[in-house]
Formats: sequence, structure tokens, C-alpha cells
Amino acid sequence: MFADIRWDALQEYFPLFLKGILMTAEITVISVAIGVVLGLFAGMGRISHNPIVRLIPNIYVGFFRGTPLFVQILLIHFAVLPAIFGKSPAAMVSGIVALSLNAGAYIAEIFRAGIQSIDRGQMEAARSLGLSYSQSMFHIILPQAVRRMLPPLGNEAIMLLKDSSLLAAISLPEVTYYAKLMAGKTYLAWEPYLTIALMYLVLTLLLARLVKFLERKYGTV
Amino acid sequence: MITVRNLHKSFGSLEVLKGVDCEIREGEVVCVIGPSGSGKSTFLRCLNRLEEITSGEVIVFDTNIADPKADLNAIRTEVGMVFQRFNLFPHKTVLDNITLAPQKVRRTDKAQAEANARELLRKVGLSDKANAYPNQLSGGQQQRVAIARALAMNPKVLLFDEPTSALDPEMVGEVLDVMKQLAKEGMTMVVVTHEMGFAREVGDRVFFMDQGYIMEEGVPEQIFANPQNERTQNFLSKVL
Ligand SMILES: Nc1ncnc2c1ncn2[C@@H]1O[C@H](COP(=O)(O)OP(=O)(O)OP(=O)(O)O)[C@@H](O)[C@H]1O
Ligand SMILES: [Mg+2]
Repeated sequence: MFADIRWDALQEYFPLFLKGILMTAEITVISVAIGVVLGLFAGMGRISHNPIVRLIPNIYVGFFRGTPLFVQILLIHFAVLPAIFGKSPAAMVSGIVALSLNAGAYIAEIFRAGIQSIDRGQMEAARSLGLSYSQSMFHIILPQAVRRMLPPLGNEAIMLLKDSSLLAAISLPEVTYYAKLMAGKTYLAWEPYLTIALMYLVLTLLLARLVKFLERKYGTV
Repeated sequence: MITVRNLHKSFGSLEVLKGVDCEIREGEVVCVIGPSGSGKSTFLRCLNRLEEITSGEVIVFDTNIADPKADLNAIRTEVGMVFQRFNLFPHKTVLDNITLAPQKVRRTDKAQAEANARELLRKVGLSDKANAYPNQLSGGQQQRVAIARALAMNPKVLLFDEPTSALDPEMVGEVLDVMKQLAKEGMTMVVVTHEMGFAREVGDRVFFMDQGYIMEEGVPEQIFANPQNERTQNFLSKVL
């Protein structure tokens, strides 16, 4: 079977795959970054004592964790964003919006668990010194929580990297999109799909390495 | 300095403080003793409102902190607290533990805050530990850092919740010595403690708490030598 690999076709499409995997990486980095910000606010909101403050993040997290990402992508690209802007959004915009919102919901739970894993005495000590709630969060609780959050955050980034392949469905030119393109034009299957599988694997392994490195550097409290 | 009137505190349906009245005067050391579960920690934690106050008044330097509108952050800068389990910030060095609040709350500049912190470390006998992390210190050393951290805000009163209970016996002395020194310098202190020797020697007054009330209060000689309340007698006969 491997003897029959069409190297010539692969060679032809490989530059597109490289372009696509860069797009995949870009979308992932941007969505994780936005997801961390969303997750921070939603996670903090979820541990508020005020039920009104809790309501919106609870609905947000519940919805995005309780529905398939694929459906969220379709909903955002074909329904929500067109309704807001009155015209079809660029796939890139929809892709980033969908992945960020999805990541934010999972990262909110990571923040919530991370913050709640810190001993109550830390917040009490900080408050007893006259620091405000947000100062205590920022200087005392979050720095400790983030160290504990590194492994689950790394997992989330890896999941997102892989799940970004779903964006091919809205024709976002990431690597899976180009693989489907090649498959459609050449009627080949092994060549495009095995190649991009290996490309994803390289990225996820690199990402896992990076997380391990960060953990070793910052992980001990 | 602190006046408590008819303080009630409930956790859900469990009433822990059932009407506490007392007065803490400037410069005095009040020791709070009593059986486990009697509400000593809860009482202490109401004095800087780490616990929400169910009803009653806790007046700290003319501010009733039971009032929901009271500026707690401002009050807390004047009321230091030392915890049983130290609660040092594990991700910060000893020096940073001490300088954080003066810089963030009092807006002291960094150099000044560090100079003060080093002076306080000298005072608690830990000049050589400024750059250590809390987990590199013994329990006794950590608690002395925690005292220095509280002192760095220049509080008018210090609250201690069983500051030596989590320590190995050989480290109790070094912490009590620091506290004695503070008392000698005129610091106002409220100390929840099981160290009856300390209460007797350093305390100006002793509160005996039981079942959510201050059952008896008086000078140490009277409480320890001639307790009036039957429960006080009972408790002391067990612990002395
Ligand atoms: N956060 C809380 N939620 C519910 N119950 C609590 C809480 N904190 C304290 N209690 C209860 O209040 C009562 C008094 O507790 P408190 O810690 O004030 O006692 P204490 O006198 O300090 O005892 P100890 O000597 O063991 O420290 C106990 O029955 C305790 O279980
Ligand atoms: Mg207690």
C-alpha cells in the first residue's frame, strides 16, 4: 500500500498544507488567548456570592459545554454572526469566535477549580492585611491557581488545536480544509489525511512538551 | 479601642455567638481561653469581619464594622491578624510576603517597604531569611514571619488565633517570646490561646468563653486563682 503513495501529488499540495497548518496554529493561539480571558471572567463570576453575577457565566458555561462544538460553529457562522452583522462573516472571524467561546467555557471551569483549590486561609490572610478582594485575587490567589492550572490548560489547548479541524466545514482555510481539497481533486485519501494527521501529531506533541517545560519552570508552589 | 455589644453570629441554624459584650482598651493584652468549639475563633474573626456579623455591634476605632457600608479594607489595615496555620503566601519570598500589603495598600515605596521589612525581620530574629520561601522555614520561623507581615502595616491592634497550636513544642517558645516583646512595647493584642502560662504572665485580662458567651472575665490572677463561674473552674481544672 505505501509503495503506491503518490509522492508527486503530495509534493504539489504540501505548500498548501504548510499554509494550512500555520492557519491552524494561528487560530488555536488566538482562541486560547481569548478563551483564557473569557474563562478568567466567567470562572470568577461563577464563584461570586452574588447569584445575579453567577447567572450569566453559568448559562454561558452550561451552553458551550453542553452542546457540540460542531453545532456551535455552524450556529455562529450561519445564524448568529449574520444576524448581528447583516451579512455572512468571514470564516476566520466565525472560527475564532466559536473556538474562543468554546474554549472560554472550559477554561472557566479550569479557573474555578484552580481558584477553589487554593486554601481559604490565603484569601483571609490577604484580606486581613487590608488588600481588596481583587487585589487579593490578582496578587495572591491567581498566581498560585495558575500554576495548578497549567496541566488542564495545556490539555485544553491541545483539544482546541485538534478541534479546529472542524472549521473546515465552514471553509476556513486551515490544514484539514486543504486536505479535503486535495482529496476532492485527486481522489486520494491516504496521502492528504495521513499527512495532516502527522502534522497535527507533531504540533500536539510540541505543545505537550511546552506545557511540561512550563510546569517544571513554574509548577512548584 | 474595640467595643463589642450584643454580638451574635450564626452559621446557618447553628448559633455560635449568643450575645458577646466586651471592651478592648488601648495597650492591653486580652487572652481568650475556653473549650474547643466555644466560639473563640469566631469571636476573633468577627473583630475584623472575616466572618459576617449576624447581629450586634463591633465598634473598631469609632466605626461599627457590623454596618454593611463600613470600609472594611481601611479598618483591616489597622487590625492585624496572625493565624494558627500562618497562611504565608507560598509563592512569595519572606521579604515579599512582608512588603506586599504596605506597597499595595499603603502605597509605601518599595525601598522604604523593604527597609521596614528588614527591620521587622531583625526584630523577630530572622534577618537571614529575607530571601527564603515559606516552605524553607520551620513552623516557628513561619509564624514569626507572619507576625512581621502583620506588623508591617503598623496596625493599632493585633489579633492572634492560637498562634502556637500548629507548632512543634520546641518552637512554641520563640513565638511566644516575640509576642511578649510586643506586649512589652505596648501593642494592643487579643490572643486566643491554649497557653495558660502565657495568658497568666502576659495577659492584662482574660476572657473565658463557653457556649457562645464570655462567661467570665477578669485579671489573670483572679481567673486562674479564684474563678467565680463553675464552668471556668471546671475548664481550668482540666487544662492546668
Ligand atoms: N464556617 C463555619 N461554618 C459552620 N460552622 C462553623 C464555621 N466555623 C465554625 N463553625 C462552628 O462554630 C463553632 C465554634 O467554632 P470556633 O472555631 O469559633 O470555636 P473555637 O472556640 O475557636 O474552637 P477551637 O478551640 O477548637 O479552635 C463550632 O461548633 C464550629 O463547628
Ligand atoms: Mg479556634
